[in-house]
Amino acid sequence: MNHLAYLDAGSGSLIVQAVVGGIAGVAVAAKLYWRRLVSRFRRQPTDQS
Amino acid sequence: MAIPDLGRSTRPAPLDVDPRPEPGSFRDPANRIFHAGDDVLRALDRTAAAHWRALAASSFFPPLLAAGKVCGTEELPPGSPLRDLPTRPASSDWATVLRHERVPFVSHPYEWSFAMVRDAALLHLEILRAAMSAGFTTKDGSAYNLQWRGTDPIFIDVGSFIPLRDGEPWAGYRQFCQTLLYPLMLGAHLGLAFQPWLRAQIDGIDPEQMGPLFRGTRRLLPGVLTHVHLHGSVQRRSAATSTADVRAQLRDAGYTRELALATVRGLEKLVRRLDHQPPSTHWVDYQQTCGYSGDDRAGKERFVAAALAVADRRRLVLDLGANDGRYARLAARHADYVVAVEQDPAVVDRLYRTLRGEGERRVLPLVMDLADPSPGGGWRGVERASFAARASADTVLALALVHHLAIGRNVPLPEVVACLAGFAAPGGRLVVEFVHPDDPMAARLLANKPDGLFPDYRRDAFEALLAGHGTVEERLELPSGTRTLYRVAFS
Repeated sequence: MNHLAYLDAGSGSLIVQAVVGGIAGVAVAAKLYWRRLVSRFRRQPTDQS
Repeated sequence: MAIPDLGRSTRPAPLDVDPRPEPGSFRDPANRIFHAGDDVLRALDRTAAAHWRALAASSFFPPLLAAGKVCGTEELPPGSPLRDLPTRPASSDWATVLRHERVPFVSHPYEWSFAMVRDAALLHLEILRAAMSAGFTTKDGSAYNLQWRGTDPIFIDVGSFIPLRDGEPWAGYRQFCQTLLYPLMLGAHLGLAFQPWLRAQIDGIDPEQMGPLFRGTRRLLPGVLTHVHLHGSVQRRSAATSTADVRAQLRDAGYTRELALATVRGLEKLVRRLDHQPPSTHWVDYQQTCGYSGDDRAGKERFVAAALAVADRRRLVLDLGANDGRYARLAARHADYVVAVEQDPAVVDRLYRTLRGEGERRVLPLVMDLADPSPGGGWRGVERASFAARASADTVLALALVHHLAIGRNVPLPEVVACLAGFAAPGGRLVVEFVHPDDPMAARLLANKPDGLFPDYRRDAFEALLAGHGTVEERLELPSGTRTLYRVAFS
């Protein structure tokens, strides 16, 4: 937790900034979503076992 | 790091007035603004004090201060009586106290014209870009971070600067969109006045509210697809994820300071593209169409100039119904600061651009309807002070205004006079014009109302009302014979 931030920056507002930052930013956002997706599939077998 | 000349002594005044916490500064607990007499003080907790010292020693902040882009700020020396400020319950003493330049007249973004909001937004981004390049950022991105010194925007939230952590996007982006970017989009893309939106919602316009206004091909207008639609949609989908998790995920995915800077540059480019001149209304040409003869105008100018010249205190002049700013400019030659209030956003926008072009730095134009002035806003209605609470002028100019309120808006004449007198500080003066019922402009207004609706709209009734509030020092009937000017002194 960033104790310096008194403001709720908004999770969506943080992510969308990557996208508006140009091609490199879009790549970062894509990587973030890809990692979320992969971690979801990885976690599932563990959860069931 | 001295405070620029504020037109007053720099004495280390003893604390003869109880410091009063600024009702609008509670949101960030790391620092708090207090007013002590004329002094504006910012108390900082330990972390905020460390950030202030890093900021003062940084490469980017002193030049911004020197250029007047950030409000004048100095740290009070230990032992200064002004450092003795009340703390919050259950918290340790403030670590240090800063003294700020006093903003001549505090205004709110819903009182600014389009070009003013645009220039304020550009200054915020310029400062953020400079900060980021030097390893700092701002905690927030609100339009309320900005105020005016005449037609120059200034960044006032010195407590907002914190060290930038690599891999973190700007925490103030959402606020920037809601209080600066979206209002500009409403103006530039849709030709809508943004002021009512900002006045109604202290946190600005939500992406969810913007979305329905930008359907169909409007989605393709500059900035709309990303900053409005994508922003709204990612916000909805991410509501369940905490900002701490998102920050960590972004850092892991390779988000860098360069990307954060690219976003700020992108915003600057977008704001520069969002230009818009509010459409002309009949008020724009009012000075040409309002029926003054050259003799009337000359007489009126002499009367107003003489009234300003006799004033003992000349700190603030309010020009109510300022139109093209003719008398506000005249007042600026006699006073420290002039606030020119006008209800038409197009007129104010034009006046702002003209004054800025002329380099006039002592007139602040504001958009406001005097029959519906800014109320108190935000928490308990005091977080943003009402116009009535802020307006206390040494001289109040109300030229060609009374008939618009009394006849055009049906405000009872005693109410109009009481309101105008209330804007004057004790010992102040009112310069007011009464347009007789038989004047062509008054007759035009009266023609739209049933006969006999305003039986007390008479010169003798008006004079009796003025005498009830103060002393009528001067009176001048203009050569046309249908307008009279009065100078009233209040005790």
